[in-house]
Amino acid sequence: MAKVPAGEWVPHVEAFVDVSRSPAQHSAGVDALAALVNKDKLTLFDLVSKMDMYLTTTDHIVRARGILLLGQIMSHISFKWLDVNAITTLSDFFISRLSDWQALRGALVGCLALLHRKSSVGTIMVADVKRLVEAFIADVQVQSLAAADRKMCFEIFSWILDHYPEAVKTMDDELLYWICQSIDEEKDPECLKLSFHVVEVVMKLFPDPSGIADQFASDLFEILSKYFPVYFTHGAGDNLGVTRDELSRALMHAFCTSPYFEPFAIPLLLDKLSSDLPLAKLDSLKYLDNCIHCYGADRMVTHASAIWFKLKEVLFSLSSDQLLSSGSPKDAENNKNQIISEAEHCLKTAVTYIHSSDRDIFINLILLDEDIVNNIHSVTTEENSIGSSLQALGSVVSILAGSSTYLCTRVFQAHFKRLVDILGNSAGFDSQHLSIANGSSPASINYGALYLSVQMLSSCREVAVASREGVPAEESWWLILEEKLDQIIHLFGKLLTIDSQPTQSAVRKECISFAVKGLLILATIPEQCSLLLENAYENILLMLTLVITSKYENAHLWRLSLKTLTSIGSSAVELHASKREMVYNRIVVDKIIRLAESCDASMPLNLRLEACFEVGTASVNYMLRVARSLEETVITNISQVNGSIECADYVTCLIDFYSSRLLPWFFTSGGLNELALSFALRLWDEIGDLVTLDRIISQGLLDSLMMGMKLLVRVCTEEQQSLIVQKACGIVSSMLSLPVKALTRHLLSVDELVPAHSVQDTALVCMLSSVIVGLWPQTPVPEMMMMINLFSVFLLNGHIPAAHALASIFNKYLQNSEFSHEIKLDKILDVILGGCFSIVLPSSNLKMSCSPAATLDNANFSDSLPGSIGSKIDILCGLAWIGKGLLMRGDEKVKEISLFLLKCLSSDASLATAAADAFHVMMGDSEVCLNKKFHARIKFLYKQRFFSILMPIFLSKLKETSELTTKLVIYRAFGHIITNAPVSAVITEAHQILLVMIDILAKLSVDIQDKDLVYSLLLVLSGMLMDEKGKECIVENIRIIISVLAQLVSYPHMMVVRETALQCFVAMSSFPHSKVYRMRSQVLQAAIKALDDKKRAVRQEAVRCRQTWQSSFA
Amino acid sequence: MELINANPVIHEKRERRIRQAPENIDENAPEAIDQLEIFDHIRDIKDPEHPYSLEDLNVVNEDSVEINDELSHVRVTFTPTVEHCSMATIIGLCLRVKLMRSLPPRYKVDIRLTPGSHATEAAVNKQLSDKERVAAALENSNLLDIVEECLSPTLG
Repeated sequence: MAKVPAGEWVPHVEAFVDVSRSPAQHSAGVDALAALVNKDKLTLFDLVSKMDMYLTTTDHIVRARGILLLGQIMSHISFKWLDVNAITTLSDFFISRLSDWQALRGALVGCLALLHRKSSVGTIMVADVKRLVEAFIADVQVQSLAAADRKMCFEIFSWILDHYPEAVKTMDDELLYWICQSIDEEKDPECLKLSFHVVEVVMKLFPDPSGIADQFASDLFEILSKYFPVYFTHGAGDNLGVTRDELSRALMHAFCTSPYFEPFAIPLLLDKLSSDLPLAKLDSLKYLDNCIHCYGADRMVTHASAIWFKLKEVLFSLSSDQLLSSGSPKDAENNKNQIISEAEHCLKTAVTYIHSSDRDIFINLILLDEDIVNNIHSVTTEENSIGSSLQALGSVVSILAGSSTYLCTRVFQAHFKRLVDILGNSAGFDSQHLSIANGSSPASINYGALYLSVQMLSSCREVAVASREGVPAEESWWLILEEKLDQIIHLFGKLLTIDSQPTQSAVRKECISFAVKGLLILATIPEQCSLLLENAYENILLMLTLVITSKYENAHLWRLSLKTLTSIGSSAVELHASKREMVYNRIVVDKIIRLAESCDASMPLNLRLEACFEVGTASVNYMLRVARSLEETVITNISQVNGSIECADYVTCLIDFYSSRLLPWFFTSGGLNELALSFALRLWDEIGDLVTLDRIISQGLLDSLMMGMKLLVRVCTEEQQSLIVQKACGIVSSMLSLPVKALTRHLLSVDELVPAHSVQDTALVCMLSSVIVGLWPQTPVPEMMMMINLFSVFLLNGHIPAAHALASIFNKYLQNSEFSHEIKLDKILDVILGGCFSIVLPSSNLKMSCSPAATLDNANFSDSLPGSIGSKIDILCGLAWIGKGLLMRGDEKVKEISLFLLKCLSSDASLATAAADAFHVMMGDSEVCLNKKFHARIKFLYKQRFFSILMPIFLSKLKETSELTTKLVIYRAFGHIITNAPVSAVITEAHQILLVMIDILAKLSVDIQDKDLVYSLLLVLSGMLMDEKGKECIVENIRIIISVLAQLVSYPHMMVVRETALQCFVAMSSFPHSKVYRMRSQVLQAAIKALDDKKRAVRQEAVRCRQTWQSSFA
Repeated sequence: MELINANPVIHEKRERRIRQAPENIDENAPEAIDQLEIFDHIRDIKDPEHPYSLEDLNVVNEDSVEINDELSHVRVTFTPTVEHCSMATIIGLCLRVKLMRSLPPRYKVDIRLTPGSHATEAAVNKQLSDKERVAAALENSNLLDIVEECLSPTLG
């Protein structure tokens, strides 16, 4: 590589050394030189030899700049390979410069750059590192340096300790002495964080018992302890580079690093625990927790009692007003809760870790503690004592018992029996009273005893789950529990049954919650721990099931029990306890399923169904049973109905529930398989029977069956769907009274159509259309020709479900091998559209259809089928659905339909109104068909596109039209288009259509039938108000807009319109003063009038509106 | 300036009665102005000398509102925290202004002190029901500022 002549780079050096130049020039110089070195255009040797004078001169300032330049270049070329000689020379140089205190910065930068080098590009040798450390110890007085230099010193040191520990390992106490000296009195947060790290690592490097770490522990800790607890006076805004939490964590790691700190750290932490500062308490607890982990049980044993006493103090007698807090009472409460949970955590750690020689140490401390004994005594004698002391007691007991099998046993031995006895005695639950205990006068339950015993049970379950060692050894908690098991289950059960009145006090509710929780715990103790529990398990399930079936008036208890049953069920499944699953199936699932099986029962149907669903959610198998039973019930009720209206309602509910709750559940959690398929096929079997079909129609079940069928088909796979379609086609074609044969061959021309159909035919077509609506686009469909003909016939008779089916067919381009549908479906569509057009507007000589065949058809049928106006309106609606299908897919043919609809707008009144509403069908979203759920093909941004195509057409049509009635209809149609288009699309055209929109609002506000449209338009307007561009447009036309809105404030037909109009006013009050001040009195008048509105929501909005307009112009 | 009542008793707020969503969703069913609605207007008015609301200080409560919608009459009876409270007129003025702004013009608003709750009860009552004096008070920009400040929390 060609070298650059010295004349080109030496000026950079001179620029850097010259302190009068700007910092930007300095750094540009470094960058330029480093780039040259990196590209091998300048060797380090050349550089150093040219810089010789700057590196060695006696002028401190120049020398410092020179060395700094070399150091900075070093850190810029950290990825360039250097040979051993170069590195040794450089490190010799920098190490020797450490003693040059006037020019120290450069030496530090250089050392750090050398240390940071990766081994692949040549690193500093360990021996050099050792020399570096020695030089540091000898020459550098860290605390006399500036903050940036100190930081660099600590960086160098922590890097050495982390990456070159072998260099320091052999050093003696001088190193530690130097470290002590260096970090003493340090105050800068960033330096502190580094120095804490240095202490942490260095203490770990000297672990031997008689080593120097032991000697220095006291000195080092004395320095560290000054910083505890870490307390920042800086605000959050100050950019310190370190947060309080980071610093505190670094200090904590330093505290925990070596067990030699133990004699100093633990007393300090325990002392600070008594501080009033919440921060100190919290930090002490966190540090203590970590120290217990790190120092080891042997060392901690001596502190056990001190720790317990301090923690007891926190847990039992901490109140939020003790804490010094600057914040609100809520903050103080928050602090308190945080401290308590940290203390519980700490206690748990202490109990688990400190038991080296004497495993009884904590248990004896706690169980024999006088306060605890007194506390237990007092909470179990005073009735209904719900307080913090009970809560603290509960958490101490459960922490203790939940730590190990042995501790659990000890706790049980000490208290469990007594608690159960107290509980039994307290509420007069003794066996002789059981029969007379009724809901009217239950003696008060001993809440304390209940709470504590449930806490104990929950921790024994924890222990059982953790140990998983099969049946516990003798003399364990299990034996004690077993002895009292029947009694306690009985007690809990009694608590559930004793309350039958639906309204209860809060305490009562708590009691019931705990009883249910107790039962849940008992029923979910792992099976291997409790072989004897089978009987008890059955008992518990029976109790809870009884609540479900008989105590539905008590909503709290009922829901709680249902949830508990579900949890018990799912825990049996999770633990693979097959025996329990069997019992659960037998006792719970059977009974609950039976609830939904009958039509008349005292219990409300929605609760029965909810119970079924909840129990089913425990596992797929249970849910399958629920689903099958529902299916069976639906089928039986359809096929052999006694004819009552309630029964029809009941079946409707079941179908709705099945399709809206069960199917989505199966869809998300799997296990659907053949379920939907078999249900759909069975339904078709039933429909295939004429008597049943008649009954379905007469009872009004058709609608819910249609929806159910759609949803069933929707979740099936393509193969399953094609099975359903085949079956449906077969049944329909065999039962129809129409000449089905004729339908299958070719597309019927309209004059061949049969005008009248029986009710059964209509119902069959409805069901068939439901199947089509739910299909996947890929599903192969048989008998396509027959179906299209069939649906066309019904469409031309004004049958909307047939239109849904056709729309789905044309939207999805359903598969069929009979014909290459790409071409043929289009042609068929032309014919159908042509038919529709000419029935609706027979007089006009429309040339809508493109294919000659269709025009031919047009010519000869127009007078044969007169068609009533009612069916014409229905056909228009059907056309709109087909149009929607095409529009969503982005088919060009949609233009024909929309042009036709536009034409209809100027025909006679009712037809024109129907045409206007047709635009709503085309643009609006529908739940019935053609949506994502039913696998429709949806083109991106189709609404926006349609809006931008139609908008100019509508605008010009409005200009042409002068007749009022026609104009109103066009307004309505355009209103539908605007309200259904995405607001952002409307806003981009705001300048063109805003005035039209306002006019539409004003004109449509007369007729009550347009109220929904008025509301939607108003929402579009308020959407514009939220947008900057929309706002500009509105400001330009503010006068007219405000007067229209002022009218809408007294719109009589819809409350939300009045409310929204007032909200628009509120939003407008932020407009520029100069634009709106003239309208102020008009707005205020409207608002004052609205103060006397008959609806409260409007009055509230009026107050707000009046206030904002009054004050913003005061 | 020394506070009139430096340490007022803060009363625990009664749980806000949440209005049930109207069961009758009939568009035309009227919902008459009632006690709770009036109370909702005034409960959040700030005390002139403390950062607490009139409800916090128990100066007004739901029962202190009497209303007859048919006769378009509303009466609010308020209780100052101390008997000699010179802020009583300001509080009364705030109540009157707030209700004047929130109720339809057909209403007659009557603001009174609870009998026996104030040293110069009759004088204050008279002052508060004198239309001209109220109007004159609102001409005073200092006074109006104080009133506006007290009313500002009521516009949530």
